[in-house]
Amino acid sequence: MAATSLALKLTSISKSFSGVPALEDVTLEVAAGGVHGILGENGAGKTTLMNIIAGLMRPDSGRMEVMGVPVPLGSVRAGRAHGIGMVHQHFKLVENQSVLDNIVLAVGKYIFSRRPRKLLREIDYWCRELNWPLDLDVPVGSLAVGRQQRVEIIKALCGGGKILILDEPTAALTPAEVDELAAAVAGLASAGMTVLFISHKLVEAVRICRTISILRRGKLLYSGTVADLSVEQIAEKMVGAKVDVPRLTQTAGHTETPPMLELVDVDYRPAKRGPSVLTQINLTVRSHEILGIAGVDGNGQSALAALISGAVNPTAGRIVHRSSGPGKAPIRFGYIPEDRHKEALVLPLPIVSNLLLRSYHQRPFARWGFCRFGAWRKHSADLVRQYDIRCRRVEDAVATLSGGNQQKIVLARELSQQPELILAVNPTRGLDVGATAFVLRQLLEARERGAAIILIHGDLDELLSISDRVAVIHRGTLAITAWPDTTPSQIGRLMLGGAG
Amino acid sequence: MIKRFLHRVWNSVTAVALAALVCAGVLALAVGAGALLGYPPIHLADLWLRGAAGSWYALSSSCADACPLLLTGLAAGVAFRAGVLNIGAQGQFLLGALVAVALSTRMMIFHQADLVIPTALIGGAVAGGLWGLVAQYLERYRSVPVVLSTILLNFVALYLAQAALQGPLQALGTAAAQSPEVAGKYWLPLFVPYTDFHIGIILALGLAVLLWVVQQHTTFGFETRVVGLNPGTAKAMKMPVTIRQFQIMFISGACAGLGGAIQLLGQVHFMTAHMGNYGYAGIAVALLGRLNPLGIILSALFFGFLDTGAFRAEESSLALPHDMANVIKAVVILVMLVLAGLSLRRARRAGRDTPMPPTPPTQESTL
Amino acid sequence: MTPSHNMFTFLSRQAVTAATPMILAGVGELVGELSGVINIGIEGTMLMGCIAAYTVTGVSGHGTVGLLAAIAAGMVMAVIFAAASVWGRADQIVAGTAMDLLGMGLSGMVWMMYQNWRENLGFSTALLHGSGFSPVPIPVLHDIAYLGPVLFDQYALCYITICLCVMTWWVLHRTRLGLIICALGDAPEACHAAGVRVRLGRSLCLLFAGASSGAAGAYLSIMQTHAFATNMTGGQGFVVLALVIFGRWKLPGLIGGCLFFGLINSLQQTLQTARYTSQNTALHALTHVPFQFFQMLPYLAAIMALAIMSRKAPGPRYINVPWPEAKT
Repeated sequence: MAATSLALKLTSISKSFSGVPALEDVTLEVAAGGVHGILGENGAGKTTLMNIIAGLMRPDSGRMEVMGVPVPLGSVRAGRAHGIGMVHQHFKLVENQSVLDNIVLAVGKYIFSRRPRKLLREIDYWCRELNWPLDLDVPVGSLAVGRQQRVEIIKALCGGGKILILDEPTAALTPAEVDELAAAVAGLASAGMTVLFISHKLVEAVRICRTISILRRGKLLYSGTVADLSVEQIAEKMVGAKVDVPRLTQTAGHTETPPMLELVDVDYRPAKRGPSVLTQINLTVRSHEILGIAGVDGNGQSALAALISGAVNPTAGRIVHRSSGPGKAPIRFGYIPEDRHKEALVLPLPIVSNLLLRSYHQRPFARWGFCRFGAWRKHSADLVRQYDIRCRRVEDAVATLSGGNQQKIVLARELSQQPELILAVNPTRGLDVGATAFVLRQLLEARERGAAIILIHGDLDELLSISDRVAVIHRGTLAITAWPDTTPSQIGRLMLGGAG
Repeated sequence: MIKRFLHRVWNSVTAVALAALVCAGVLALAVGAGALLGYPPIHLADLWLRGAAGSWYALSSSCADACPLLLTGLAAGVAFRAGVLNIGAQGQFLLGALVAVALSTRMMIFHQADLVIPTALIGGAVAGGLWGLVAQYLERYRSVPVVLSTILLNFVALYLAQAALQGPLQALGTAAAQSPEVAGKYWLPLFVPYTDFHIGIILALGLAVLLWVVQQHTTFGFETRVVGLNPGTAKAMKMPVTIRQFQIMFISGACAGLGGAIQLLGQVHFMTAHMGNYGYAGIAVALLGRLNPLGIILSALFFGFLDTGAFRAEESSLALPHDMANVIKAVVILVMLVLAGLSLRRARRAGRDTPMPPTPPTQESTL
Repeated sequence: MTPSHNMFTFLSRQAVTAATPMILAGVGELVGELSGVINIGIEGTMLMGCIAAYTVTGVSGHGTVGLLAAIAAGMVMAVIFAAASVWGRADQIVAGTAMDLLGMGLSGMVWMMYQNWRENLGFSTALLHGSGFSPVPIPVLHDIAYLGPVLFDQYALCYITICLCVMTWWVLHRTRLGLIICALGDAPEACHAAGVRVRLGRSLCLLFAGASSGAAGAYLSIMQTHAFATNMTGGQGFVVLALVIFGRWKLPGLIGGCLFFGLINSLQQTLQTARYTSQNTALHALTHVPFQFFQMLPYLAAIMALAIMSRKAPGPRYINVPWPEAKT
């Protein structure tokens, strides 16, 4: 490949959100043909940069050239016309429309033609080229995540795509699917396509990409071939100061303590005559242990979380809590939900209120039904200090905090009441390395204090690093693995439904 | 402690300051529009002001008109704050008045004013509350959106009232849908003689203050606030979401029903099915008061003055259509909504990935 | 035509006549809701259509000009609503209520001013003879048994409504535009990623809804009644809202619902008079029922219909969610 031909050239791109810089003077050149990795941790500005390239966002300043031709910024259509296609981390699909309709919606040129022949031929071509048979008439929502990603990729390629942007494409995939994707990407690259591969996972990026760029806090720190840097150097550039990812030093071997929570033959069916989402779930968790539940997203994790948190009741089977004390008081339960905006926080309310959402009616904080705000303020000031929540005043709305600090509020509230049972679902999603380490460390500390923890987590590496035992959920059934006496790749196979 | 309390009051006051600004702007616009339509602006403003507050009596009739607005405003405010979109204050208001008229012209208890007035007021409130519960029941157990069912129930209530007013409650010697006049001894007593200052106004003010205390200082108020802003979180925190929604709907409907009863016993003294647009206007009142009961008092007064002035302007030689007041209310709602939507967005946008946000606290951040 | 000869035909014809404005407004509302905006303000928009059509017809003497004025008035209302709810991020439901209030207030105000003005000039406020619309029977077709009088002896706007329904169905189900409209309400981020301007798209859908609601208002004032009265829509706009849900956001369901309500409406009107004249004892027994209960019927039926249907109706996901979503 001639080194002179540039697929993409960005010149001093800057973007800030209400005064806070997200990208500062980024200048980037990507050679045509090949896989170029964009690395950086969460919040480094990778997605912002990609959105700018794809035309979804207009930068405050800067220029862009594609194949040597200047392209107006801030227009998706202009980007598309120059062959830029983007696959977003959260797919941009209309779930109840068919695969074909989704592609027509995004790529179609004319407003009245619903079945353009040229486009059909193009879809057919890419399906054969990539060897991905697609059923064009099924609703996208009924496809598994891996298949939806294929639809997205074909959508991005159709209409003369030359530059393909993949934003965190591996986040929701199992190890085997990642391998398949890597092969497909390599195929595309060898056919002359330029692929931008965004990732915050170092290992896979190094494996898949030939050249990389590293972003940190909105600045481009490095752009060049992978071979020039060692893995440690890349990691250091990405993260800055080195952060230890917490790790469980010794797994719990004891099984004699009574179980804190037991699920016995639990079935769950959301609609009366609909299909089961969970079948025959058997699960036990004891104090002083973390039970990790791995699985590809959409295999019943959210239903399982809803069952354990008590939001829904099982259709069959039973859920047994160990009640603490003779008064049969319910056990103290801490819940770190997947979507903190929907289930754990009230964004417009101040930090104080959010910290007291569980205990507002208890004795020191309320008397005769009246709130005692003095006690509220004192308590939350303590928690803010203890959990290192960065805020100006506790009266500020939670909406004004960053994602990491919001998650710290959830943790502070849920863990400060010394729960005996904790359910955490994807607790580190979207957090940067520092906040991730903080969350994992807090979970480990809670385990030390004797809590029983169920951790449903999509990030297999993190899950394995702090779990005593690991179960795998696949299509609504749960299988306990032999972890730690098994390998991550075997668990990955289980996640896909294969035999361990 | 006292300082904190004053701080809270101050918060409510600042919330209204912005609203006052909006009002001034809209009023200026209205006078400008009037000028364009050929109504001399100075004369118009003069008439309007004199009609609303030019004399002791004008002042009292403005306040008396603000009274039902305050109650329907509280109905909307209490409900909206808890995320219950009760747009049915109109129907609840009518039913409240209907029950009150029944209890004061047909079923007077022992013919004792001391008994009849309270039962009529309470009966009106309960009727409004129950009418609201119908909608909440439909939402919870039949998944009919409360917005739609309350609107449709408004019409059902209207025809129900008409049927009653042409049936058992009809006045003798008339063919119109109209009730007989309530006997003078059952009228709400006046606290300033020869004006419209009836004790219903004090009752409504007391209720507003009570609701403010409940909203700001009790766990009940806190729970309803959380339920309104984020029912998912409220449920995950094991708050009794459904019960609170039903309770709020009852309180809201009862406020509107009480408004109807007070309007009947205090102001109009006989009932027709056209008792004014107080139910719909309540939404404007509540939004202008930023859903805060103390703010709602002020905005109800504002609209009371607006309405009364508009009616005087219509009676005058200028013949300005009083519907102008409704138009102003609608514009006020729209402006307030847009302001709220934009300020919320600004606050959130500023929060993106910044450890130390440079934004002032949001308007409604008083716990 | 004697009543007994063709009671059913008569009722059906009345039903279609009564259903036409609801279908017209409903088609617009449906498109708006599919794009993710619920407009509670169609009642107010229809009222503005009524008054605009009536006054302009009264002044110009041409019904067509009045109709166009009504459409324009509806679109102005839509622009205001879109400015508040789509661009200003206002809560759609409360903003819609404000639009109702605005429509009621403004139409009442204009009506009063129009009356004053006409009387000062010494004119009557009634429409000139022949300036409104009357039913236009379509040659040949209106002779078909049953279908002829029911479908082909209606006002011109009814035929336009039929065409509009067919066209809307075709657009929604057979074109990429339909995919875009549905995606605006179901997955606006997908539209955004595809380069479709979400707010613009929603505004255009609202504009269409405003135009059709305005036309529905014109139908009420210058075709069906040749008169204007304050709040003459009498809650039809709200019933339409219920019917969109009742039809599960599908065009045929909506039309079916509207026809059903037209039927109930014409039935209740016929019953109100027929119960006094009929020899039938069962009908005659109804004389003791206050007529308000008949007037109440459509609203009760709407609530019932919702109670039965809305359980299974998911509807567009992003109704009343402003774009872009406020997320941290």
